[in-house]
Amino acid sequence: MGLLCSRQRHNQADSEENEQTAEIDRRIEQETKAEKHIQKLLLLGAGDSGKSTIFKQIKLLFQSGFDEAELKGYIPVIHANVYQTIKILHDGSKELSQNLADSSKFMVSDENKQIGEKLSEIGGRLDYPRLTKELAHEIETLWRDNAIQETYSRGNELQVPDCAHYFMENLQRLSDADYVPTKEDVLYARVRTTGVVEIQFSPVGENKKSGEVYRLFDVGGQKNERRKWIHLFEGVTAVIFCAAISEYDQTLFEDDNKNRMMETKELFEWVLKQPCFEKTSFMLFLNKFDLFEKKVLKVPLNVCAWFKDYQPVSTGKQEIEHAYEFVKKKFEELYFQSTAPDRVDRVFKIYRTSALDQKLVKKTFKLVDETLRRRNLFEAGLL
Amino acid sequence: MPMFQPSRKDGIVGFEGGGDGRILDLDTAVKDGVLGGVPVGGYGGGVGEKLDLKKMIEELNLGEVPSVFICPISLEPMQDPVTLCTGQTYERSNILKWFSLGHYTCPTTMQELWDDTLTPNNTLYHLTYTWFSQKYVQMKKRSQDAEGRASELLTNLKKVKGQARIQTLKELHQLVVSHSTARKTVVDEGGISLLSSLLGPFTSYAVGSEVIAILVNLALSSESKTNLMQPAKVSSIVDILNEGSVETKVNCVRLIETLMEEKDFRTEIVSSHSLLVALMRLVRDKRHPVGHLPGLGLLKLICSHKQVRSLIVSIGAIPQLLELIPILGPDCVELALFILDVLSSVPEGRQALKDCSNTIPTLVKLLMRISESCTDYALSILCSVCKLSPEECSLIAVDAGLAAKLLLVIQSGCSPVLKQRAAELLKLCSLNYSDTIFISKCKLTRTIQ
Repeated sequence: MGLLCSRQRHNQADSEENEQTAEIDRRIEQETKAEKHIQKLLLLGAGDSGKSTIFKQIKLLFQSGFDEAELKGYIPVIHANVYQTIKILHDGSKELSQNLADSSKFMVSDENKQIGEKLSEIGGRLDYPRLTKELAHEIETLWRDNAIQETYSRGNELQVPDCAHYFMENLQRLSDADYVPTKEDVLYARVRTTGVVEIQFSPVGENKKSGEVYRLFDVGGQKNERRKWIHLFEGVTAVIFCAAISEYDQTLFEDDNKNRMMETKELFEWVLKQPCFEKTSFMLFLNKFDLFEKKVLKVPLNVCAWFKDYQPVSTGKQEIEHAYEFVKKKFEELYFQSTAPDRVDRVFKIYRTSALDQKLVKKTFKLVDETLRRRNLFEAGLL
Repeated sequence: MPMFQPSRKDGIVGFEGGGDGRILDLDTAVKDGVLGGVPVGGYGGGVGEKLDLKKMIEELNLGEVPSVFICPISLEPMQDPVTLCTGQTYERSNILKWFSLGHYTCPTTMQELWDDTLTPNNTLYHLTYTWFSQKYVQMKKRSQDAEGRASELLTNLKKVKGQARIQTLKELHQLVVSHSTARKTVVDEGGISLLSSLLGPFTSYAVGSEVIAILVNLALSSESKTNLMQPAKVSSIVDILNEGSVETKVNCVRLIETLMEEKDFRTEIVSSHSLLVALMRLVRDKRHPVGHLPGLGLLKLICSHKQVRSLIVSIGAIPQLLELIPILGPDCVELALFILDVLSSVPEGRQALKDCSNTIPTLVKLLMRISESCTDYALSILCSVCKLSPEECSLIAVDAGLAAKLLLVIQSGCSPVLKQRAAELLKLCSLNYSDTIFISKCKLTRTIQ
């Protein structure tokens, strides 16, 4: 009888285990099915191309945005950006004043010299102090110094971040004791992305009918070991490649001698040729159009080797459009040259963006969504 | 009024009642107002002066007219019906012509006439006139409605967005396709520039495809074409050409062709990878053959711009066209050959033709098969290719049966220029063979026969 009892207990344990396994299997099957319907989008691009800004915009547009805690979490980042910026400008002015014929233009006025040194020291620390009203005032004074303004106008030769002007003009607000960053502040805040961040969202249409679920991945921009992890993204629905077209006259953060646009060109080429993206749709975001608009009338496109055959045709708005079309065509050419004949049928579209403009990003994303949905229908044979 | 209906077995044509064998009775006739007793809606007021029957018939251009109104000789509606002694009615001018040719019979009954009087059939005339007037008034009203509706839709278009905009565009599209008055209204009320303004970098496919579908139905002025040639607008047209349904793609093709007619057209607009790749995709889409002819037509037009030729070659158009030729209809083959011939005028083109293994066999097969033009182009291409590397190519060509075909050309009724070219090519090919072997190659094999 003892034998019977123990056998029964054994069977009971077995069947419990089987049931659990079955349950787990069921759950895995369900999740795999659900996973299949999630369209994965990969944000790629060189450093500073605006990928993370797009990422933040999507979060703001199609998710619940940032709550107060998240917004406040950006305060140290924003303050750090302020210190970093003013240090770059100050050190930059010193550098320019030593190297150039008209060096006096870049010499900070006597009364500001001391502030300059102090801020430069702070900016070089690992930990930044909280931005007090006093510090903010000093920074503003230095910012208004002619030498610093001159240095700012030569910003492309140094590594002055794009958010410089915005933060410098808002110092009063940023140093308020109970400062809570606005959405715009967050969009401008610069932090080097490391690792991978992802969000899942659904673009909600007019009728509040969503449909597609997207998962967006943002990968760090710097060069290191890209080839090691890129294949992990095989099977993504689309690559959103960000290229900042305003940086044709700037050099890399990591390498002062390399032109940023050339870097972007090489990266784009590399990505296009990856076997894992054979069937992937490519959405090219020609980003920072707002900065491009202002720059292109002052700095000729042909300072960048890739654009050396550019000929201006007119002035003002027409010229801006013409320059933009030229750059667009260059990217198109590059795409087709880097695409083997058997891949020519993958979707490739170019969008003009200014990642900081929420309305524009929303419009752009709606178009991306439309294209991807049509593509799905096409592949299912329904179009 | 009961209509006389003779028995069918007499085989009398043209007397089958009001189009469907019904006896036109008095009540129905009065109700329909055909007898003119009751004023038909808008009849009294809308149609002021006496309408000209001829004008109405022309404007209406109806396919289905009651057979009683049709002249048995010309099969056209009668404007001056006359009845013979046999009781048959004809258009006066037609029956007079019949008599003038020396016939004195009734055309339909074949009876000899005992009386050559032509009696004007006033009853029939009146019925014809009334019927057409009714139709005319109805058409005018529908046109006016279309006009009004088109105007409304244009006003709407300025205000609405999103789904409402798409619906408005769809309705406008329907109107513009079916009513010339709607088209006129759209043009007169600045619709073209309004529609063009909807094309740009942020145009969705849904909106863009409808806009283009409407624009291809309208007469575009020089100014509006220039407006449409702005790079951002062209880009959106090209995008839609890339991803649209085949009907939409054909519309894009037609629109681009219209723009290319413009004097100031800048070649660089079509010198675009995206446009050419999209066009080739349309051309070689085997699932939708209806796109082949328009696609090839545009490609031919683009080829006329010299600067674009090497770009066309670089996107791989040549092997794609060669692969496509066997399944194309004759018109399309002619276009494809024309294009290949033009492309062979640039070095890259010749090289690509030579590199493609399909070239020579496909072209040899086409000689003397479809039309003289096709033979002309095929010969020209073969000449270019063979001249590039004579030994290699002539070997392949002769093996594919070229020699026999060339003899056919020379012996045929083709133009002297063609024969000359064939003779030159024949000579080129024969250089690599001894006489006897070459002659054996010239015999028509079973496959070519």
